[in-house]
Amino acid sequence: MARNAHPHAMAPSKPGRTRTAPPQLPDRFPFGGRYLAYTLFDLTGILYLLLGFLVLCTVWSLGSGEAVWNGALERHRNILYIGFHAIALVGLIFVGIRFFGFFPKAQPPRVGPVKPPPKGVILVGLYALWIGVTVCLSIVLAGGVF
Amino acid sequence: MKHPLLKLEPLIWLLFGQGILLGTVLLTPWVLVVGLAIPLGIVPADALSYERATLLASHIVGRLVLLGLIVLPLWKGAHHMRHTFIDFGGAERDAWVAPLLYLLATVGSVLAVVAVIRI
Amino acid sequence: MSDGQQKKTFVITRFDPDRDDAPRKQAYEIPVHPDWKVLDALNFIKDEIDATLSHRWSCRMAVCGSCGMMVDGEPRLTCKEALSQYGDTVDVAPLANFPVVRDLVIEADGFMEKLTHVKPWIIRAKELAVEEGPMRQSPAELEEFKQFSMCINCMLCYSACPVVANEPEFIGPAAIALGHRYSLDSRDEGAADRNEIFRGEGTVFSCSFANECSEVCPKHVDPAAAVNQAKLNAVIDWATSLVLPRGGDK
Repeated sequence: MARNAHPHAMAPSKPGRTRTAPPQLPDRFPFGGRYLAYTLFDLTGILYLLLGFLVLCTVWSLGSGEAVWNGALERHRNILYIGFHAIALVGLIFVGIRFFGFFPKAQPPRVGPVKPPPKGVILVGLYALWIGVTVCLSIVLAGGVF
Repeated sequence: MKHPLLKLEPLIWLLFGQGILLGTVLLTPWVLVVGLAIPLGIVPADALSYERATLLASHIVGRLVLLGLIVLPLWKGAHHMRHTFIDFGGAERDAWVAPLLYLLATVGSVLAVVAVIRI
Repeated sequence: MSDGQQKKTFVITRFDPDRDDAPRKQAYEIPVHPDWKVLDALNFIKDEIDATLSHRWSCRMAVCGSCGMMVDGEPRLTCKEALSQYGDTVDVAPLANFPVVRDLVIEADGFMEKLTHVKPWIIRAKELAVEEGPMRQSPAELEEFKQFSMCINCMLCYSACPVVANEPEFIGPAAIALGHRYSLDSRDEGAADRNEIFRGEGTVFSCSFANECSEVCPKHVDPAAAVNQAKLNAVIDWATSLVLPRGGDK
């Protein structure tokens, strides 16, 4: 038997004339079938929160002088940091592919008088942005230019 | 707590959405280079020597990119963790879980502004 | 029914509010016709084997939206589901995320209440007089909302949505899609009203874009698109209201 959903899920404001059985969650929720991708997508929230704070610490150390900055770079060589960033990269690619796939249909047919471009163009534009920024910023960070 | 949070919901959602979109776009090269390529020795460490890193980061574009790299993922993270709590039966606790997560993102965002100013 | 005909076992969730503490499963092995839909099998069981089985159905052509059930764990219109695509054992349960009245019949009143929240009708500041003629609409204007008007209120989307399952206030995919459908209608002037509603508790911002509603929608309405388009409209409306507050209503 499936697990119960919230006891008031889809309940009317006034109870009906007869006793009802409590609402059940869909059998496959949260880790089965299509729900797995959804649940993992939500769980990447933890990765992003950690990444945000990790970048914050790294940027903070840059403002704290050369020794602290070099310490931060040294810490990044720790196997735990490398492992985390490897997982984070997989998470980022997963989030990008899932979200960019949904993004075009989430655009209204018009905003006031403005019509967004066709869905295919939006999708191609998103991937172009992602790949373009990744290539350009990687080159800058890796010392290729500037 | 629910009422003020409700008023801010559009702003939170906007930050969350940009956290997924721009956050992912910006974090990918950061994780690739700073998180993996430099630590693994694929890219020489002096690419981000103190002098060069300061030079890049103190430019206005550099500061804005770093701000986006910190703030947007924090809001994406906080909002998605809120959804996860609700999905695992935490709707009754949302009244304090949501403010706590958004407070965390707010504190991080304020610190991010300070961090990019003090470079 | 002759011997040698294919048989399938239906494991059906039963619940009698007068007798059962909780829902239970009951299995029926029946001969099936190759062309049957899942609904035909349920009707066979009710007509030939167990008259106490309760389930809703009406049109048998995926229009009335009343025969939605969980078939092998997925919300489906049973009149639309060919039995041949299922195995020898088929599990049939009432729609998930709804209170159960009896057997496969769910309590739909909560859904009906949610529907009315979004003002799903054309709102006009001033009604046109009859002599002014009909309100004309171009095919391009119709195309902007037509997809969202195809909803048959079958509630499959509610049954698949993880937010509906866990957040009772959430007004849900079909209701939001219907509200959005009217806001997109060139004859409607109620978008601002609905944007206010959509910024309230348990509406568009509660959606976590699982996209499950769109996956299970039998009419390809794509409610997830509607809900997320409505989010953007609500954000634009909110940002505009900061710059240009509407008088009196805040």
